[in-house]
Amino acid sequence: MIYRCLQFFALLIASCLCIVSCQILTPSADQGISPLGQGDRPVTLKLGGWGSSPAEQRLFQKVLTTFEATHPHIRVKLETVADQYMDVLKTRLIGDAAPDVFFLDSFEAPFLMSNQVLEPLDAYLTPDFDLADFETTLLAPFQQDGILYGLPKDCSSLALFYNKQAFAEAGIAQPPATWDELLADAQRLTRDRDQNGKMDQYGLGILPDLARLVYLMRAFGGVAIDPQGKAAFASAAALKGLNLIVQPYQDGIAVRPPDVGANSGTEMFGQGKAAMVIEGNWAIPFLQETFPDLAFATAEVPRIQDQPGTMVYTVGYVMNRQSSHKSEAWELIRYLTGKKGMALWTGGGSALPSRQSVAQALHYDRDPLRSPLVAGIKYATPWQLGQYPAAIMNSFNNQFISAILAEQPLQQALQRAQNSANQQIQAAEQ
Amino acid sequence: MKFSIYPLSYRWILYILLAVYAIVTLIPFLWALSSSFKPLSEIIAGDFWPHHFTLDNYRQIFLEQPLFLRWLFNSIFIAVCVTVLNLLFNSMAGYALARLQFRGKQFWFLLILAVLAVPAQVTLIPTFLILKSFGWLNSYQGMIIPGMINATFIFMMRQFFINFPRSLEEAAALDGLNTLQIFWYIVLPLAKPAIAAQAVFIFMGSWNNFLLPVVILFEPEMFTLPLGLNTFKGQYISYWNYIMAASMMFTLPVLCIYVFFNRYFIQSVTFTGGKG
Amino acid sequence: MSPAILGLGLFTIAPILFAIFLSFQKVQLLGGIEYEFVSFRNFARLATDDRLWIALKNTAEYVAIVVPAQTILALILAATLNAGIKGQNIWRILFFLPTITSSTVLTLIFMWIYNADGLFNQALAWIGLPTYNWLSDPQVALKGIMIMNIWSTAPFFMVIYLAALQDIPRSLYEAAEIDGANGWQQFRYITLPQLRPVTFFVVAMGIIGTFQLFDQSYIFSGGSGGPNNATLTVVLLIYQYVFRDLQLGYAAAIAFLLALIIIIVTLIQRRIFDQDPT
Repeated sequence: MIYRCLQFFALLIASCLCIVSCQILTPSADQGISPLGQGDRPVTLKLGGWGSSPAEQRLFQKVLTTFEATHPHIRVKLETVADQYMDVLKTRLIGDAAPDVFFLDSFEAPFLMSNQVLEPLDAYLTPDFDLADFETTLLAPFQQDGILYGLPKDCSSLALFYNKQAFAEAGIAQPPATWDELLADAQRLTRDRDQNGKMDQYGLGILPDLARLVYLMRAFGGVAIDPQGKAAFASAAALKGLNLIVQPYQDGIAVRPPDVGANSGTEMFGQGKAAMVIEGNWAIPFLQETFPDLAFATAEVPRIQDQPGTMVYTVGYVMNRQSSHKSEAWELIRYLTGKKGMALWTGGGSALPSRQSVAQALHYDRDPLRSPLVAGIKYATPWQLGQYPAAIMNSFNNQFISAILAEQPLQQALQRAQNSANQQIQAAEQ
Repeated sequence: MKFSIYPLSYRWILYILLAVYAIVTLIPFLWALSSSFKPLSEIIAGDFWPHHFTLDNYRQIFLEQPLFLRWLFNSIFIAVCVTVLNLLFNSMAGYALARLQFRGKQFWFLLILAVLAVPAQVTLIPTFLILKSFGWLNSYQGMIIPGMINATFIFMMRQFFINFPRSLEEAAALDGLNTLQIFWYIVLPLAKPAIAAQAVFIFMGSWNNFLLPVVILFEPEMFTLPLGLNTFKGQYISYWNYIMAASMMFTLPVLCIYVFFNRYFIQSVTFTGGKG
Repeated sequence: MSPAILGLGLFTIAPILFAIFLSFQKVQLLGGIEYEFVSFRNFARLATDDRLWIALKNTAEYVAIVVPAQTILALILAATLNAGIKGQNIWRILFFLPTITSSTVLTLIFMWIYNADGLFNQALAWIGLPTYNWLSDPQVALKGIMIMNIWSTAPFFMVIYLAALQDIPRSLYEAAEIDGANGWQQFRYITLPQLRPVTFFVVAMGIIGTFQLFDQSYIFSGGSGGPNNATLTVVLLIYQYVFRDLQLGYAAAIAFLLALIIIIVTLIQRRIFDQDPT
């Protein structure tokens, strides 16, 4: 028995040594978390967000450095989540280990707003913050029962991107203004240059993803969710709207990225495999950098039923209700969503400002590429699906693809998706 | 003398098949390697070889990321600690399960199986809460201690030890060696190939581990390499050029470890004819 | 052993016990953790969940094809590499490459290769086989993942077999040679029986790994399990319940159903392969 004991103690000591050495090596994490009253020692705020391209990361760091220079009593520690942002964030919120301020996509906002983990911001707002400057379509996603929980850091709407050279070849002078014109143009733009029976250029590139489609349903009075937050897209109106892309796809004048060996709509547009795509602001710097020879222009999404429509995606800054530095956290949010901070950030061109005054100051409302996007924000449908967005979106995407591939009628696919989503929601609410 | 199960005349067919299979395994890897030297537009265009060879992707990762060396250190430190602890614990536990006649052996075996059968996704939040209660979030011990023993490899070592001839151990016991001595001086040296395989797998597992660190490591200084390199992913746009360069940087060290341990997998072991 | 058992207990068993506890609760996790005992309601819900049955069917199909295929491939590769061919080290390094590369990176690489114009279709067309849209055709989406997984996991088990082949006493082969056994007979009557415990391990690990398929279907389908539920797996479903809606109780119930299936299948195959079922 003695050797067993010896063995045990030897390993115990080894483990202890290991733990101790770990603690020595670990940088003390809590340097900045000092009680508020501790005089001149700066407060360290944790800011949670996701990663981006190296250029964007540099720009964001510059914005934060500028903030620290003007607010010497606050240090900002950026906690970048490498992947699965919302999963990680939810886990950290459960464990009371979430950052003081963090990014929140409008899509995910209702779940967190109704779970009482976000600090209401109304009490912090002052008149000079000029809340009216924000587009209402961008504030609404962060409001619940009249309470404001987040401020939009930036946004992007969708616009029609078209290949100028392809338009010239097909003899089309103007970008389409209505969906009918869009389909007629798409017909003319679909080409088999080498006559091998395989199209080299399709008229329209589409993404069969609910995130890109809700405005089509709305054009005919359809909705994605009803006021109770249940899926409600299996309606005749929604069907009509969705047919605007299903039909052209089945007619062979529209195409999805995987059909032509691309990973995204922007890629297939850049490669010239689709002459028109409906994409967001993110496509502009990407296309300019990656396809410098591509001549492209943008226009507002063609009107449907004589109504303008598009989607808008926005990300907000929200404050953790558990934060122990709420007034400093507000100072950070106020700066980042204020006129100066936002101009610095969105001046980089990878996102559109959520304040009208900043869009004007940066001349984005007159910029030939960005003005259709800026104009769209006003009438756009914000991307949001209530408290159980994943159930609705997954069910829809899952079935819609098989409908678009003509494996089942669209009507049946929508009904199946709706039933599945609502079953999941009902089970979750029980 | 290596034994052979193939007559010499079939050998050339064998080499052709091996070569074909090698091409199949190599092409995706080469494709990623070549992509890491291309600008983004060329990756999207999809040709195999780069037209404009560029080191820019690597330069961006190395030079623009001041923390790269720190991430490398974190990954290596954690992986080495985890590997050493695992080799020790898994081998002992596996040996115990294969040889020692203690009560509840069957229970332990079933327990290991049950542990393996529950997917990590469902235990992640509980693990997070436990680490949080220890104050081990954002720390090395939070990464090392939960991973210091691995049911998979306890199981693997058990399966290896079962096959060992008991005669050697019995002889050693007659010579007066105790169980620990037998394990250390007789069993472990014989198990070198299995231990080498285990070392590679555990190192690899720790190196590639993403699920736990992405949740418990907050600060950039504490990131492991996969976390740090993953921050290049954009919200809407995937920068494949950086992703490919990063994944090459990331795979290389494991390849080196494998090449180092590789020779132990086939090695003329000392107990040839030990049973005879 | 004790610290090891302690570690295993604290960080492996405790979360599982906690999950067992959760499977009988309705849990509110955000904004203060609250539990409500619901007895077997989470388990009763299993029977009514259509998606679970689709996921189980997909997963079972996946296991039934991938486990035998990767085990046999691994055995063939190991036996071949062990047979004294030239340049063994190089072959072993080449063959092991897919396993070294992390599964996320591999999946990203394969998304390119499986494209409509990708390498895989080019190769198929060159041989004269039909091409598919591997990523978004429900008929083949799961098969694409199967091919990729067999290819990337077989080398892992190959290494285990290689190590196991070293442990077979050479004297057995020498004795067989004296008795006039040829190469195939030696393989059949010495190598295979001697590899039984390790085969049990390899098959068990294969079963566990394939039943827990997640990464590939998550990345290929963007987390939805589509197209038309073709890549919905049990663990993807569990993941959706855990993180999307934080329904940890129900997710734990699914996890235990899965664990039960894995344990039963493993115990059955243990009767076949394990020499020492003490």
